[in-house]
Order: sequence, then C-alpha cells, then structure tokens
Amino acid sequence: MMKYAFFPGCVLEGASQEAYTATTKVAQALGIELVEIPGWTCCGGSHLQDYDKTAALAVNARNIALAEKMGLPVLTVCNTCTLMLREAKHELDNGAKELVNPALQQAGLEYTGTSPVTHFLWMLIKDYGLDKLKKKVKRPLKGMKVAGYYGCHILRPPHIMGFEDHANPHSLEDLIRALGAEPVLFDARLKCCGFHSVFTSKEDTMKATGTINLSALEGGADCTVTPCPLCQMQLDMYQPEGKRAVNANDDIPALHLTQLIGLALGYTAEELGMKRHIVNTGILLAGR
Amino acid sequence: MLKFDILVIGSGGSGMQAALVASSQQGLNVALMSKVFPTRSATCCAQGGTNAVLKNADPTDTIEKHTFDTVKGSDFLGDQDAIEFFCEHMPETIRELDYYGVPFSRLESGTIAQRPFGGQSAPRTCYSSDKVGSVILHTLYEQCLKNGVNVLVEWLLLDLVVENDRVTGVVAMDMKTGEIQPIMAKTVVLATGGAGRMYWLRTTNPFASTGDGMAAALRAGVALKDPEFVQFHPTGLAGTGILMSEACRGEGGYLLNNQGERFMKRYAPEKLELATRDLVSQAIEIEIKEGRGFGEGMQAYVQLDLRHLGREKILERLPQIRDLAITFEGIDPIDQPIPIRPSCHYSMGGIDVTDYRTCGTDLKGLYATGECACLSIHGANRLGGNSTADVVLFGKVAGKAAAEAAKTLDFGSEQKVNELVRQWENSFSSTVARTDGPSVASIRDRLSETMWYNVGVFRKESEMKKATQIIDELIAEYKKCVVGDPSKIYNTAFVQYTELGNLLLVAKAVVMGALNRKESRGSHKREDYMNRDDENFLKHTIISKQGSQYKLSYRPVVVTKYQPVERKY
Amino acid sequence: MRKITFKIQRFDGQESWIQEYTLDHQPGKTILWALIQIKETLDPSLNFTASCRHAICGACAVRVNGQATLACETPLDKMLKRWESDTLILEPLQNFKLIRDLVVDWEPKAERLAELKPWLMPKDEFNKESGCRQSPEDFKKINKNSDCILCGCCASECNKLSGNNSDFLEPFVFTKAQRFVADSRDKNPVERLSAAINHGAWKCQHCQECVTKCPKGLSPAEDISNLRQEAIAKGLVEHSGVRHAKAFLDDIQKTGRLNEGMMAVKTDGLVKSIGNIPFALRLMSKGKLNPAHMFPKPIKEVAEVRAIILAVKESEKARNIANAKRSEAHTNPDIQRPKEAAK
Ligand SMILES: Cc1cc2nc3c(=O)[nH]c(=O)nc-3n(C[C@H](O)[C@H](O)[C@H](O)COP(=O)(O)OP(=O)(O)OC[C@H]3O[C@@H](n4cnc5c(N)ncnc54)[C@H](O)[C@@H]3O)c2cc1C
Ligand code: SF4
Ligand code: SF4
Ligand code: SF4
Ligand code: SF4
Ligand code: FES
Repeated sequence: MMKYAFFPGCVLEGASQEAYTATTKVAQALGIELVEIPGWTCCGGSHLQDYDKTAALAVNARNIALAEKMGLPVLTVCNTCTLMLREAKHELDNGAKELVNPALQQAGLEYTGTSPVTHFLWMLIKDYGLDKLKKKVKRPLKGMKVAGYYGCHILRPPHIMGFEDHANPHSLEDLIRALGAEPVLFDARLKCCGFHSVFTSKEDTMKATGTINLSALEGGADCTVTPCPLCQMQLDMYQPEGKRAVNANDDIPALHLTQLIGLALGYTAEELGMKRHIVNTGILLAGR
Repeated sequence: MLKFDILVIGSGGSGMQAALVASSQQGLNVALMSKVFPTRSATCCAQGGTNAVLKNADPTDTIEKHTFDTVKGSDFLGDQDAIEFFCEHMPETIRELDYYGVPFSRLESGTIAQRPFGGQSAPRTCYSSDKVGSVILHTLYEQCLKNGVNVLVEWLLLDLVVENDRVTGVVAMDMKTGEIQPIMAKTVVLATGGAGRMYWLRTTNPFASTGDGMAAALRAGVALKDPEFVQFHPTGLAGTGILMSEACRGEGGYLLNNQGERFMKRYAPEKLELATRDLVSQAIEIEIKEGRGFGEGMQAYVQLDLRHLGREKILERLPQIRDLAITFEGIDPIDQPIPIRPSCHYSMGGIDVTDYRTCGTDLKGLYATGECACLSIHGANRLGGNSTADVVLFGKVAGKAAAEAAKTLDFGSEQKVNELVRQWENSFSSTVARTDGPSVASIRDRLSETMWYNVGVFRKESEMKKATQIIDELIAEYKKCVVGDPSKIYNTAFVQYTELGNLLLVAKAVVMGALNRKESRGSHKREDYMNRDDENFLKHTIISKQGSQYKLSYRPVVVTKYQPVERKY
Repeated sequence: MRKITFKIQRFDGQESWIQEYTLDHQPGKTILWALIQIKETLDPSLNFTASCRHAICGACAVRVNGQATLACETPLDKMLKRWESDTLILEPLQNFKLIRDLVVDWEPKAERLAELKPWLMPKDEFNKESGCRQSPEDFKKINKNSDCILCGCCASECNKLSGNNSDFLEPFVFTKAQRFVADSRDKNPVERLSAAINHGAWKCQHCQECVTKCPKGLSPAEDISNLRQEAIAKGLVEHSGVRHAKAFLDDIQKTGRLNEGMMAVKTDGLVKSIGNIPFALRLMSKGKLNPAHMFPKPIKEVAEVRAIILAVKESEKARNIANAKRSEAHTNPDIQRPKEAAK
C-alpha cells in the first residue's frame, strides 16, 4: 500500500476544511495511506521569507525532517506548500543542510534528504498511475467540461518544481480525462490568481481572479478545478469581487482537485464539502 | 531643427564614455545617438577582460611592459607614442570605472582581480567573471541615466555633413518614425564600432558591426588607416562564428585535425595552442586547406578538444563556453570536441585619427574613438583585452576634446544639412520603391564569401585582384538592390540596406590596403610575401575616397623606444 | 519535406494582424534563424531586432506561443517538441509599447529604470582616482544580478505588471535596485529601498513568471523578496505587506499554525478590516470563517519550533552559507544552459 507523510497545510484546517475531507476520502478510496505529519507547522505561505528568510528555511527543514523520521515521502495538497517545502529542500541540498542540522538535532531531528516532496496531483500521475485511477472511477464525469487551472506554484519556478513543462503542462488535463470529464484549455489557465497580493494589491488581485473565471467561462467550462486550495479560495470566495472587477455576469464553481476526483469515485457533493463553497456547485451536479 | 554642441554617435563603451565626459561640462548641450538601444552595443560581447597595469595580481608589472607587449603584439605597426599614452592612462581609467560601479572580480585584498592573457608578460587583464564587456556597458549606461544624458535611441547615422572644411552636423534617420532628420552639431564624435560583418558568414561580431562610421567618414573625405588589418579569432564556432573565448586554449584545450593530431606542434613547437591569435588562425586554415580539416567549403572546421581537462575543470573554469557550445553547436565539450574555425573578430584599422591626444581627425570638428577609429594602438594585431581598454580610455579623450572644441565653434549653416536630408529622402523613396533586382542578403553573402576566400586569413595577389573586381561589381549591383519594405516605421530592411552599402565601401578599402601591402605582418598574412618587410612597409596605409575613386598613401609609424625586431612567442 | 508554420503578429504602426509563413524544417536551428530566414527569403518587411546572437545583448526577446524568450538561443526543435505541433505563434513582448511587428519600445522603460536610481553611489571613503575596494565575498553578492541584459522577458510575463503598471515596476528594475542595495561600495541603500517600496515592492504577486522566463537564470521575485527584507531591516515597516508577512512568523511562533481568521485584522488593522464585513459574513455563512476557530490551539512542539528558528538564525549569523547559495543563478530549463558550476 502506498503511504505518505501528509502535510495538509493551514488552510485545510481552516477555510478549506472541505479539501481536507475530500483528500482523506479520495485517499481512502484509492487505498493510499496518508499519515499526517505530527507537529507540522505552517510553511510560511510564500510570505514568511520576506520577513525572515531564515525562519522559513528552519521551519520547513523541520517539516521535512519530521517526515524523514517517519521514513516516508512528503505529500502536499497545496501548490504553495509544495513550493515552500521544495525550495527549502533545494537550499538544504545545496549547502544549507550543515547550517540547519545542529539546530534540528537539539530536537532529535535531522535533515538528510531522504524524503522527496510531492503533490497529490503528481503522486496520482507518477506513483499511482492514471490507468489505475480510471479503474476506480465509479461515476465517470461524462459531459462535464472542466477547466484545469494550475496556479503558479505547481509549475513555477521550474528549477524548483520541474514535474512537467511549465509552459505546456498537461497533468491536470490528463487527470480530468481519466475521470471521464472533458478538459477545457482556456487562455488564462497558467495565469496567476493573485492570492498572495490580496492584501497589498487588492484591485489587481480581483482583476486577476475575475479574468481567470471569465476566461474559463468563455472557454465553455462548467467549472474550474485546481490543485491548490489557495487558488480555489481566490476563485471561489472572491468570485463576486472578481466578477465586478472585469464586469462579468456569470458564476463558475471552483472545485478542489480532490473534490473532482471524489465525485468520480462516487462520493456525493455533500460528502465532499461542496456546500461550503461560496459559488453554488448545484448547477454542476444537476442530473448527476 | 535639432542642434547640439556635441553629438556622439554610437553608444558602445567608447561612445558612452565620450558622452559622459562631454556632458559633465557645464553649459554644453550633448546628445548620444545609437542605432540600437545602448546596452545592445557590441561592447557587451567582450568576455575576457580589460588591460591595465594595476599591479594587483603582479606587483612587478609596469607601464613599460604593457607598452612593449602592445608594441610587439602590433608587430611594430602601432604608434609607440600613442601606445605609451594608452598604457599610462589605463590604470586611472579602470579605477574610475570601479568608482562608477563596474562589478569587477576581486582579489582577497579587495582590489580588482587580474588574469593572464595572450601575448602579455604579466597578469594585467581586469575581469568580471566572463562578462567584462557587458558589465562595463551596463555601468556606463547607468551613469548616463544618472547624469541625464540625452540619448537618441534607435537613430541611424546616414551621413556626416561637411561645409567649409569642417563637420557641421549629420543626417540621421529616426528609425521609430522613419523620418530623415537634419542635426546640427559643433563637433561630432564617431564611436560606431567595427566592420566585422563584411565577413558576414564567419564573424564573432554582432549584426550591428557594419562599419557605418568608417563609411560615413570615407564619404566625408576622411581617410581610413590600416584597414587591411583584420583580426581573425582562431576559435569561432564552426556553424555560427560565435566566439569560444581564448580561455579555452588558456586553460589547456587542444586543437586537433582530422587525423586526431595536435597540429600546432608543427607551427609553434613551444607555445603550441597558446601562440598568438594570428599564428593559430593561420595554422588552422593551412590544415583545412591541405585537407586535414573536417567538412567542406565554408563549413570546414577543426576541433577544439577540452575533454582531457575533465568535467570538474570545464564546469568550474569554462561554464559559459560549455553553455554556448551546447546551445549553438549541440555539443557538450565534456564529451565531445567542439568544431571551430577562425572568424573575423576585430578591425584594427579604422578612421584615421591624426592626434591621439584628442582623437581628432583631419576634418575639423570630427573625432573618432573605439573600434571604428585607428590611432594606431593595435597596429597589425590587437592583444586580447586591449580593445575594451582602448574604448573606455579614448572615449573620454574624444569626449573631452570634442567638448573643448565645441566651446570655440559656432553652428554651421542649415542649408547644407537640409540639402543632404532631401537627397536621402529621395534616395529612400526611390530605393524602397524598387521591386526588381538582387536582394540585400544575396549581395551581402557574396561580399562575405569573397572576403573570406580572397581576403581572409591568407592572402595573395591573384585572389585579391579577383576580390577587387567582385566588390566593384557588387557596388554596382547594390545600386539596383531591392529593399522590399516601403514603410517608414522601423524599417529594418532599409537599415540593413544602408549597412550593406557601408560594408561594401569599407571592404573595398580593406582589399586595397591588403593588395598593396606586399609583406606579411600580424594579421595580414600574404602567401606571396611571407615575411615582414620593415624597409618598405613599416608604415600606415592611408586610404581616402574621392568620388568613386579610392586614393592610397602611406604615413610613417611613430617609433620611440622600441626598434622593430622579429616577433617570436 | 517537413514544413514549419509561423504565425507572426504583425503591426504597422496602426493595425495588427497575424501573418503566416512556412519554412522547410531544418534540424538544430533557433527561433532567430527562422525569423532571419523569413525576412531574407519570404518577407523583407517583417521586423524584429537582434544583434549578438548569443544571449548577451538582450535585443531579440519575443514571445513563442505566449512565452517570452530570447529568439537567438531558443532551439526551434525544442519548441516544436514542447508544443507538439509544427506551428508556432510568435508575438512581441507584452507590457511594452509596440513599435512595429516584433519591435518594442525600450525608451519608456529607461525612464522607469531610473526611478530606482540604479547607479552606484560610492561611499565617501572611495574616490575616482583610487577606485573602490570590495571583498570577493561582497563581489559575489552583486555578481549574479550584474548578469541582467535588459531583455525584458521578465516584464513581458509579469502578472502584476499586466494587471496594472502604474503602481509597480518591471521585475528587472527591482533586480537592478537589489544589485545596488547589495553592493558593499554603495552608501545609500535606503534610498533605493524606499523607492522600491514606493514603487510597489509589496505588490508583487509572487507568480514566479519572472524567475521562470529569465534567460540569465536571475530571480527578480527573489530580489523583490530581498528588497522587502532589507527594507524591514532598515526600519521601513509601515506597510500592510510587512504586517502580513510578519503575521506568519508570529503565528508560527505562537501556535505553529496560521491563524487565517485574524489575518485581515493583523494585516489591515481592525478598522480597515471592518470594511470587509460583508466578505467575512459571506465566508461565515458557509462555515469558511469559523469564529470558534479564531484562536487555534498551539501544536505541542511549539517551543521546539521556536528554539529551532532561533538556533538556525544563530548559526547563520556565524556562517552566511544559505544566503550565498541562494544568490546563485538557476538553470533556465527552456534553454538548457547547464549551470552546474558556480561562475
Ligand atoms: C565576441 C567578442 C568578444 C570580445 N572580447 C573582448 C575582450 O575580452 N576584451 C577586449 O578588450 N575586447 C573584446 N572584444 C572587442 C571589443 O568588445 C570591441 O572592440 C569594443 O567593445 C568596441 O567598442 P566601441 O565602443 O568601439 O563600439 P561598439 O560597442 O561596437 O558600439 C558601436 C555603437 O555604435 C552604434 N552605431 C553603429 N553604427 C551606427 C549608425 N549608423 N548610427 C547610429 N549608431 C550607430 C551602435 O549602435 C553601437 O551603439 C570582443 C568583441 C567581440 C565581438
Ligand atoms: S501555503 Fe498556506 S496553507 Fe499551505 S501551509 Fe503554507 S501557510 Fe499553510
Ligand atoms: S495561482 Fe494563486 S495561489 Fe497559486 S501561486 Fe499564483 S497566486 Fe498563489
Ligand atoms: S513574481 Fe512578482 S515580479 Fe515576478 S513576474 Fe510575478 S508579479 Fe511580476
Ligand atoms: S532580469 Fe532576466 S529576464 Fe529580466 S531583463 Fe534581466 S535578464 Fe531579462
Ligand atoms: S541577439 Fe543578442 S540576446 Fe539574442
């Protein structure tokens, strides 16, 4: 059985609890064991390093070291967590290890570099296999047009992420197809949703969010799906502001990656926490 | 009408230095014109370094040594008074660049790091990793921003305006609008760079090095000095001519022929691959000529083998070289030898500067500096690291002199410059309207092949006579050539057309100088006159143009301390 | 014969259109080769700029299928493979004023560059006559960012700049600024820092496009991050961005986890956050903002986390490895220039 040290990230404990539920359910259905890393801390969310770079390195070295202690690879479900952890790993592997280990040792930890950091999406494609996933699909999402929205940090910067070509990725589309749905390639699929500047540059952020949703709608999508809970928050929670910023009228539901998979695996919308979304997901599920 | 006290043309290292110095003087109105955005100038290509006797890496280095190395490197054709002046003023110029912010590599002591370079008796080449030209150019641009230097970006010099035996301005095209504009100037500094693109298919030079300033000077009645001296760098990539720096040989790279033989042992038994650029280039061409190269014709090459240096050393010392080989030749030098061939690299000759203390020419108000000029510092062969040095020092000299002179001069009449503008406007309209004739690229490629085969690394009379004839034919054909774009806005086809015209004019001078120099000296290697002939040719070639006729004369070389001796390395 | 089609965005000063050109495929060529081939054999009126043809002059940046890159060093075959197609779309850089076809205007950028005073303000101890002094370690800190060739690739794809360029500058401008802030010879980093903050350093969206697109392996986003840190270190802390970033550290040190519920209050202050009440209510109605969750329980190892942060900072002070490592150029996978070794 596949087994991972699970790094849920803070949002999965808070605003995006539904993603936590969906992740656990999907993992269960697929026979993937997720063991939550005991005592993990926030990764710094791509902001901490601006205030204190060293602290960002230290906490993530610790997060990874905890997983190493479990003898398991790290599994994340958030783009930004993935980036933060992998960035730390990159530095640790390039000389920072010696700097951090004495401190970790005080807590009985050590970073050795044995636990890779992967994302749920990558895991499904590389470790689990889409063919195998296909076989588990109970309710193919026939006729559903899904706009795969990557978000920045699962692709960029490529020298840290590097799972697939940053300019022409297709992991999301492959996955959408495996679930029986139809991927929609829309213009803004690689753009940034603006989440990280929501406080400092609100107007731009809302424009970015609105543009992505509009672009997905114009591409004929029924919903967006994203591998990042932060992007999902942005596309969903701020959708009203986004619409206003680009003068759009229509709503488009934004699903977490694991919710889309969950649907195909036969879970109900209720079970996947879709009631918690701001934008009603009902239209999407009508007739399903 | 635009009017400037001083107009500097060319924003490479030399032009920016000139503009900076000139604009530091109170009350003078200075402009800097360039056909490319300043930081795109050829100066950015320099990788290796810049020479100055700072004594940082070797306290025993002296100005005299730098002087002698340069004189010897020039095969005794350099003017020794100019070279002395050059070597003496380099250290202060480099220190000033440091003060301007050039990020030089450093020694532990905090002083500027210096490395050894070909043909030099001490490590005196100041460097910044492997990008000295780029950082100098960007730093000078920063200084221009700081000092609010007025830059005419993407303006193309078309012609100099001469009236009453002095320069009174220029005609130029504002490329963004296509307007041909008159500009009045009390003094003009030409800093337009080299003309390596006459060897279009085999050169390390960027596309912009088309000898525009040299040609404009010729048309304005100013002579070129020593144009026949063209430096061929031994190691340009076979496919593109992109430079594989001298460091490849410096670090111990081998040159191999198709027998796998280190052929340099037959040409320079002691120095082997580390012999001077002219010697190594000549050896490679002999190998190719005698059938010991790879490939055929323009595509022939020999190999530069770095494999024995080992992965570690290549990664540590030659990372950029490895990058370039992989990107442009698809070859990783760690595993495979690199295909290389000599490529035109530098114009030792250029606009005849008659006073190195001012960079002044015979035409009042006209100054020339940098690669477009010939002072002459580099004589028959330039040493690596001496060009960026020349550029940053003499840019200042020219800028200062031009500013001083401008204070004493008035503007010329508007009539002459307007007249020339009208001529160019007519020429533009009729040229771009033509639809039938040879293309710019076809003439250019024939020029390039002609130059490569007949006035290349090896030269002989019969071939050069042929070249003379072909170039005349090409000049005639050029008049019928099709531009193919009638638009005024950013018409690069027209720009390339004028550049080709300039290359043809300068190429003709190169051939003339070469044909008449019946000796071998430095980069000028005659198969029919294998030796240097100090008795008859220790003199500068001076070529000027009157109408369509070129006139040849000579001027003695200035010898101060160092009597010519045989050059051995 | 395999044919390659190029759909090129043309512009004549007024109108824009897409023009198609077809070339015979040749292996081992670059995008610049294709442009030159088109100009010389098919259409002399196509305009683009290029000079050095080896990635040092910065003249040839264009967009290939929506991605800014240097034409001269981008392998054609690699692009064909990436897009699994024998048709490529070539466009001018975004976020630049267009002049003609693929030619963009750099002059306005020069003005914007000047905003952050990107030139050395040498310390008083130095002078023109004897130059400056700098240790090899300090040189290292400015070496990487001196590689910027002003090609504009980063600016073309910058999400923040595309959104609104009136309160932000091109990523390369920040990179330049950082190069001077980090220069041990410079006496006035604060001036650049406050200018950087005033020109939007806290507004970067962290989208990493600049880092991804830079052909020289530079990381403008990281430079922005460094400018932010330096600004904080120099006391420029009155900014919502600072409060936001600080909240992460505070929360980690307090509980180990982020307290999203309080984020708005911490970042924008209570009064401004009240303006967001409709938003908060929206979230609350869906259970997304749970008042009961406002003050999460700390993880039990929180003291350990604090100790680790402290200890790492101590040893970092002693040895500045991490920072030195961080400032090395990365390999841009689009070009595959192996940068395994330090320059
Ligand atoms: C690949 C390469 C590597 C080199 N390495 C070294 C080295 O390591 N050390 C060394 O010392 N030297 C080196 N050199 C030589 C050196 O870089 C150049 O000789 C020197 O930089 C020339 O500088 P410049 O100021 O004369 O002109 P350039 O830098 O060539 O600038 C010419 C300027 O003139 C402008 N211009 C030209 N024509 C016109 C026109 N018609 N209208 C308006 N503007 C015009 C151009 O736009 C440009 O701004 C190298 C050269 C090359 C090509
Ligand atoms: S990215 Fe956000 S959600 Fe993910 S761990 Fe970091 S702070 Fe928490
Ligand atoms: S897409 Fe959104 S959440 Fe993802 S990285 Fe960009 S800004 Fe952050
Ligand atoms: S990371 Fe910031 S600067 Fe870089 S491209 Fe994105 S928004 Fe622009
Ligand atoms: S930072 Fe990189 S991408 Fe941006 S202009 Fe400089 S070299 Fe180009
Ligand atoms: S042509 Fe100079 S960077 Fe591409």
